[in-house]
Amino acid sequence: MTAVAAPRLSRRLGEGAFLAFCWIATLVAIVALAAILWSLLQQGIGGFLKPGGGGLDPNLFTRSTPAPGSEGGLLNAIVGSLMMCVAAMIGAVLIGFLAGTWLSEYARESHYGKVIRFLNDVLLSAPSILVGLFIYEILVAPLKGFSGFAGAVALALIAAPVITRTTEDVLKLQPTALREASVALGAPVWKTIFDVIWKSARGGMLTGALLAFARISGETAPLLFTSLNNQFLSFDMTKPTANLPVVIFNFALSAYDDWRRLAWAGALLIAVTVLSVTVVARILAREKASA
Amino acid sequence: MNTQLEAPPETAVLQLAPEVVKLQIRNLDFFYGQKQSLFDVTVSFAGNAVTALIGPSGCGKSTLLRTLNRMYSLYPGQKATGEVILDGDNMLSPRVDVATLRARVGMVFQKPTPFPMSIYDNVAYGVRLYEKLSKADMNDRVEESLRRAALWDEVKDKLKESGLGLSGGQQQRLCVARGIAVRPEVLLLDEPASALDPISTARLEETIAELKRDYTIVIVTHNMGQAARLSDHTGFMYLGQLVEFGETEQLFTNPVTSRCRDYITGRFG
Repeated sequence: MTAVAAPRLSRRLGEGAFLAFCWIATLVAIVALAAILWSLLQQGIGGFLKPGGGGLDPNLFTRSTPAPGSEGGLLNAIVGSLMMCVAAMIGAVLIGFLAGTWLSEYARESHYGKVIRFLNDVLLSAPSILVGLFIYEILVAPLKGFSGFAGAVALALIAAPVITRTTEDVLKLQPTALREASVALGAPVWKTIFDVIWKSARGGMLTGALLAFARISGETAPLLFTSLNNQFLSFDMTKPTANLPVVIFNFALSAYDDWRRLAWAGALLIAVTVLSVTVVARILAREKASA
Repeated sequence: MNTQLEAPPETAVLQLAPEVVKLQIRNLDFFYGQKQSLFDVTVSFAGNAVTALIGPSGCGKSTLLRTLNRMYSLYPGQKATGEVILDGDNMLSPRVDVATLRARVGMVFQKPTPFPMSIYDNVAYGVRLYEKLSKADMNDRVEESLRRAALWDEVKDKLKESGLGLSGGQQQRLCVARGIAVRPEVLLLDEPASALDPISTARLEETIAELKRDYTIVIVTHNMGQAARLSDHTGFMYLGQLVEFGETEQLFTNPVTSRCRDYITGRFG
């Protein structure tokens, strides 16, 4: 009896221990995330409220960054960040979707494809401050001026490899039979890719693009060398352009309480934006998948 | 009189009368890179009939099917030499436009492959590649194709819904409807029922039997019962060669070659 029961017990113990380790590891990750969100919420919410109390502070969204001690908000930074992120995403999505498609559909086994894939992976993990310096060298210094465009190019350079990689990965997951089924009807390969493969993979491709958006919306280092900052509201992307990450960076390190309050508010704003964009993307992807 | 029995022939390929032949393969060799996987296959397929290809896994029957619509040309390492003659023209000639060939030779795959679009668009997709039809004409074409694939009654109220929401058997009949919507002359079926349950398989077989009246059908199958039920002619392949080809009834009841007899009686494969 015991001879039979003993291995079972040890097996159960092994199983239990492994499960416990998994639980602990998950718990550590979740606790860390919750702690970050909690402190962000606690500190950031103050920036959304009027300093003396009494409801939401409209200044946050209607006025630009103030001098220390005076009233103001983050309007210029919000507008600048939006402009640069949108411009960067337009370029990065275009490059990323097409490059990922090329890698998956046309160059899967070719040597040239392997080289490009490797270089893309290198770019994917390149420190973002290097990207900023690179754009500084090729765009900011020759044109003699910081600009929103340079910032957008730097952000695009960070987002494009992410989108390229995720696009390639989700396209590779599409069954070969699906491609052949379309080609068997006489459809050219490019039409098969556009009408069938992209449609089938759109949830994953969208998720990849939104991941890239989440990545660049908090990037500070590349913008320090490219778009710099701007104290005033400006829609001109050929001039230095304000943005949330650099404002947070500057204000968080300052000695003024009201600036630090705004920095927290900006951080919370980015976090909430990224979170809601991700949630919306998930819902969209799920609806389309089951449609 | 010689009392000693004559040894059975190595291969036995029935030659069909030229007037019934729709599609013909002559001296076909096929290569995956350096590896040759079809050896000098010569065979004819009768029009308005079902021809079944049987044989153990890896014998080359799917490869043979994929030369008939040049599906292999998607992959750079794959090469076919010889002739595939459809109505007198060699389809392997580089002068033949591959899209036009595929419009004449449709294909249905092992697993159902509905496109991620509505049931209606699944059927209309191929048609739109070749023809500009008015909305009414397209509606007619879609209905006709779905009726012939025996799917119309099940989907007529949900044509706008996604094809992915159908059951496996329905999806496969949708793929048949999609294939015949472009009005091909030949229909290639690559183990079309292997992912289906028995009831769906029976429905698909009824559909295929129906379609025989208008199409030349070549079906690859692992299910010998299916080949016997459905087909007029059967080819048995082994190690890249066509070993025996003949009338289905004759091949299943009285095979000429020993390898075909061993396979059919379950001695190998």
